[in-house]
Amino acid sequence: MSEQRAPASERDPGVEEILRARRDGGHVARKLPGPVAWFDLRNRSTGHLAFSLNRITGLGLVFYLYLHLGVLTLLLGGEDSWNGFLEVATLPVFLGLDVLLVFGLLVHGLNSTRLALIGSGYVPNHQKAMFWSLMAFGAIVLVYTALHVFGGE
Amino acid sequence: MTPTEGTPTRTVRVHRYDRGDDAPHMELHEVPVGPTTTVLEALRWIQLHEDPTLGLRHSCFHASCGTCGVRVNGKERLACVTSLSEFSGTVTVDPIANLPVLHDVVVDMAPFFERYPTAHPIVRESEFLPESATPDGIAEHDRYEDCIECGLCLSACPVAATDDTYVGPAALAYAQRLLEEPRGADRDAILDWADQDNAAWRCHAAFECTEACPSGVQPAQRIMALRKQLRRHRRDQGRDVPDRQSSEEKV
Amino acid sequence: MAARAEHERSSRSRSWRWTAITGVSLLVLVTIHMVAHHFVVDEVGGLRTYQHVLDYVSTPIIFVIECVFLVVVTAHAMLGLRSVLLDFGLSDRWRRLADRGLVVLGVVTVVYGFVLIGVLASRA
Repeated sequence: MSEQRAPASERDPGVEEILRARRDGGHVARKLPGPVAWFDLRNRSTGHLAFSLNRITGLGLVFYLYLHLGVLTLLLGGEDSWNGFLEVATLPVFLGLDVLLVFGLLVHGLNSTRLALIGSGYVPNHQKAMFWSLMAFGAIVLVYTALHVFGGE
Repeated sequence: MTPTEGTPTRTVRVHRYDRGDDAPHMELHEVPVGPTTTVLEALRWIQLHEDPTLGLRHSCFHASCGTCGVRVNGKERLACVTSLSEFSGTVTVDPIANLPVLHDVVVDMAPFFERYPTAHPIVRESEFLPESATPDGIAEHDRYEDCIECGLCLSACPVAATDDTYVGPAALAYAQRLLEEPRGADRDAILDWADQDNAAWRCHAAFECTEACPSGVQPAQRIMALRKQLRRHRRDQGRDVPDRQSSEEKV
Repeated sequence: MAARAEHERSSRSRSWRWTAITGVSLLVLVTIHMVAHHFVVDEVGGLRTYQHVLDYVSTPIIFVIECVFLVVVTAHAMLGLRSVLLDFGLSDRWRRLADRGLVVLGVVTVVYGFVLIGVLASRA
């Protein structure tokens, strides 16, 4: 009991190895490499689905922001330039992309409303019900929008 | 030792890794099972009968110590109370994620504990001593120490999957518990610790920590409550929008 | 040093708060923008013709709304990108670089958008 404690490196080779491993970092088990893990929904629940959707729609909308500014630049080219774009933009596949845009806006907007409430400390225990209720509402709006986009009324 | 003929068996696929290995590999074992055989019992059978080099960590056998945290078929679980009968087919056992692996399914928990705030009360008065009166506004002592520090929440967290600087759900939940019942801890120090980009504001409310927690700590809810406290603290301190003049005066 | 730490600390809750504020504002602004551009006109897809667009952006109240929308959506986008970048566990140095880069990107985006709206409004 009176003997002094030996320094770490002399106590046990195993301890030295652990200390070195800690310094070196070593192999860390990850579910999937890097940001791919954000979108891995296996064995995950509603909250993670909401997080993944928010992230992917957010990134998609940032991309769309710059795409949209680029498209609007065509207006600077005059009426012919813009009309040329309109001819392409009214093709069914591009109208479908418009509906996809609205889907992204609805998912991101409605889920972010949920996040703002939860993140402010309000109703965190009802986050799943809130998510599905808002998504159900969004689905109704999306269907109406799709009908309008394709129907033209 | 091979299971006796007629004994039901399950295939258990175990993560194997040693320091110095280039990469981990998986090994398959046929383990004899009963209707209530747990993952921990299966791992121990492998260790005792087939491969004594298999590294695993356990202690209490009843979900109280938090030592045996692993991932079973990708889901964070305590091995001692996870029955193999919950799963069909091959059962895969991996170490919990986002912490360095020491050996097989044993992780280095030091980085987990290093994320905790340093301000904390070490010795607490007993609730049962006559002189242990409850503080003002508290009717009776309640148990706040549900956390068994198993690390399952950190493993499940999608932010911790990419950001090793994130303090994580357990540390934040702990900070919130200290605020609810400081017992001598410095509230301002805890709030300052939590008010960091890699602390309370890094959480994206995926709630996977709450899903993974075997003890009912509800870390995500605690983090949201912590944010509420932080905003209130800033408002009370009058530091909501710091003006340049006050910042310069402090220099 | 203490003042800088204090200022940086206050910016953390501020980032989250402004992300929430701009987000809530966008719920209104995006709805106005989408309805006005795509639900009011009769054409398929609701897209406006060239002259429609010019007449639309040259209306003073619309001009102001679209400018505000641009600023708010760009701020929200930059704050969102910042949040995603921080999830990679950036060091302090890279975080400051990212912050400056996003401010520059945001300013360039808003300036370009203002120029675009201004030129189009002047052609009406």
